[in-house]
Amino acid sequence: MLGKLKTGEKGRIMNIASADKFVRRRLLDLGIAEGSEVCVKCILPFGGPVMVESCGQCIGIRRKEALRIEVERV
Amino acid sequence: MMNIALIGNPNTGKTSLFNNLTGSYEYVGNWSGVTVEKKVGIFKNGKDQLIDLPGVYTLNPLSKDEGVVTNFFLNEPFEKLLNILDASQLRRNLHLTLQLLEYGAPVIIGLNMLDVAKNRGIQIDIAKLSESLGVNVAPVVARSGKGCDELAELVTAGAVGTGKNNLVYYGKAIEAGILELENKLAGKIKHPVRWLALQLFEGNPYVKNYLETILPIEEIEKLINSVTVDQQQNADSKQALDQVIHRKRSEAIDKIVSAATTKQENKKVPLTEKVDMVVTNKFLGIPIFLVLMYVMFMLTFDWLGFPLSDALDSFLSGPLTSGITAALAAAGASTFIKDLILDGIVAGVGGVLVFVPQIFILFFFISLLEDSGYMARVALVMDRLMESVGLNGKAFIPMMIGFGCNVPGIMAARTIETPKERLMTILLTPLMSCSARLPVYALFVGAFFVEQKAAVVLSLYVLGVVIALILAKVFSKTLLKGETSVFVIELPPYRLPQARALWRSTWDKGKGFVKKAGTFIFAGSVLIWLLAYAGPEGVNVSMDDSYLALLGGIFAPLFAPIGFGTWQASASLFTGFLAKEAIISTMNIIYFVPDEASLQGLLAAHYTPLAAYSFMAFILLYIPCLATVATIYKETGSRRWTAFSIAYALVIAYVLSLVIYQGGRLLGLT
Ligand SMILES: Nc1nc2c(ncn2[C@@H]2O[C@H](COP(=O)(O)OP(=O)(O)OP(=O)(O)O)[C@@H](O)[C@H]2O)c(=O)[nH]1
Ligand SMILES: [Mg+2]
Repeated sequence: MLGKLKTGEKGRIMNIASADKFVRRRLLDLGIAEGSEVCVKCILPFGGPVMVESCGQCIGIRRKEALRIEVERV
Repeated sequence: MMNIALIGNPNTGKTSLFNNLTGSYEYVGNWSGVTVEKKVGIFKNGKDQLIDLPGVYTLNPLSKDEGVVTNFFLNEPFEKLLNILDASQLRRNLHLTLQLLEYGAPVIIGLNMLDVAKNRGIQIDIAKLSESLGVNVAPVVARSGKGCDELAELVTAGAVGTGKNNLVYYGKAIEAGILELENKLAGKIKHPVRWLALQLFEGNPYVKNYLETILPIEEIEKLINSVTVDQQQNADSKQALDQVIHRKRSEAIDKIVSAATTKQENKKVPLTEKVDMVVTNKFLGIPIFLVLMYVMFMLTFDWLGFPLSDALDSFLSGPLTSGITAALAAAGASTFIKDLILDGIVAGVGGVLVFVPQIFILFFFISLLEDSGYMARVALVMDRLMESVGLNGKAFIPMMIGFGCNVPGIMAARTIETPKERLMTILLTPLMSCSARLPVYALFVGAFFVEQKAAVVLSLYVLGVVIALILAKVFSKTLLKGETSVFVIELPPYRLPQARALWRSTWDKGKGFVKKAGTFIFAGSVLIWLLAYAGPEGVNVSMDDSYLALLGGIFAPLFAPIGFGTWQASASLFTGFLAKEAIISTMNIIYFVPDEASLQGLLAAHYTPLAAYSFMAFILLYIPCLATVATIYKETGSRRWTAFSIAYALVIAYVLSLVIYQGGRLLGLT
């Protein structure tokens, strides 16, 4: 799960189907889909959002959504 | 004359280019969703029109600002499209380009941000890109203006090709679906059917509505269903149509991009990432934000702004006033004219202009926040807090903008995807203390809280934010229940703001304030002065017998429990609805004083410090100004919500001032 990665760890997205449909659409818009490589840049405290980098761009999503995105560590 | 529409992903520099090509100034900032409505400008050649649109990732909209673009496509005339691509993010940007090519309008591509791409080690073969898309590609750097003239020539000169519209093969099922729709629509429609069909299959609600005006709903539904079923059978997968379409486009784009670009691995950690390690740090993120806000605030109110305003005040009340007096005497003006000009206009307009330095400092910092890229980080850092009150971090951007002026703040709420959160943001942004309220605080703290000036004003700003958060919680538990809250935000790379861009952005915001002083406040001052000059018993009456006193006196008793039951206070609250800074002009005129310092002296006789604080809190909350109310109506499209925004503000303001004043008295404060 993307939400389980620690700061600095990388992963490849395996399955994104169980994320919220809005979130999925936006991630798709930003070019993040199954197969994309992602790297966790920072995790905000108190269950706050995570900042993720993929293909040279950074995005922020909530931890709860990140926990619904399956990744494989690389 | 031609209409040329600018279209591209968010934050790719469309508006920067628009400003360059038309010589105008529209709002530029380094985050996604700065432009939220259509803007029209004239090319420097004086003939053709350029239309700036909000940024979109695809033509299938999620939020209201994106809907503006789809609407434009369906319903408005244009001859050419100018598609701006961010060279450092080609893959993502080309998804939109493919859709534009499917639409089949003449397209020219402006390849922007080449400097950023170069820094990342990305080399783009422009000729090859142009060849594989079948359209002209012109390199530009919108920020510096490089290549803009050539681009202008290219787009305004004669005919432009439409590019290749069959770059993607979507598979048997979808292509058959397109043909079927083509048969159904033959001859009935002016838009290209291939484009309509693909948008329909992607789930574009605007296109669906549009098609429903031509075909029966059942037929459309049936077509979508049969294509979905066929596609899933053929591919033996459960993927929805939009995902299939997206994947097919990605495959085509991959081919184009790998042929046209080369990338050198650049092992250097970009500066942006280094900065982000600090400002979005687990422990430092929020403290850094608060410190920045504090510094910005202190510079505006204390360290820099205060001495400047003071100097301006002594100039206006000293040399300027005596100059005008002398000039009037030399011209032999009547006493009426002299009084009108000196006690009405100079007092009213001058009283507001005194605060120009502070307002400009505030706008400078807001522009700095907007242009640096920090805005999106603030949204990220604040998301956890906002989530706990039923909003998301993105709602913090309209609120920050609202500190400058509530009107653009409310407009900025368009980028919030879910309707409920957007409505809440619109309703709560007026609680952010805008720059027009700043003069009122400055005046009152100068009179009553000289020692703790900054602390008192800061407490009011914080009060506004806290009340907004509490109300958000209340609203999301009562009026606006349900609906999940989502948060996805793009974090753009930091950009070092350029002096010129910063100045233009500051000036553009501050100009409004100066202009308002010269028009609205000017006219208001004349009116107020006349109302104070005339009364039921004739003209040149004592102020307490004037119409103004009469009007104010009707409502004064209402305000007695909260500490300011004078006719002067209620009269100025009325004018404050028109524009918050009018409160200052009204007071200057009513108390009949030439400058800020003597007004402060007089105020001390009419208010106690406790009443003054209660008055400031009331001003902070009591009502959105007229322009804000108009914007709320425009954005919500609902009389009920507009009325609600006024009513709840009045109630909250009254209750809070009552608590402050009566509670303070119980505690023995005065
Ligand atoms: N480095 C660099 N920055 C640029 C260039 N063009 C624009 N910018 C910056 O990119 C940011 C976004 O510019 P805008 O013109 O507001 O972008 P936009 O496409 O209108 O954005 P939206 O209205 O949000 O869709 C600003 O901070 C600009 O200064 C460029 O060629 N190079
Ligand atoms: Mg723009």
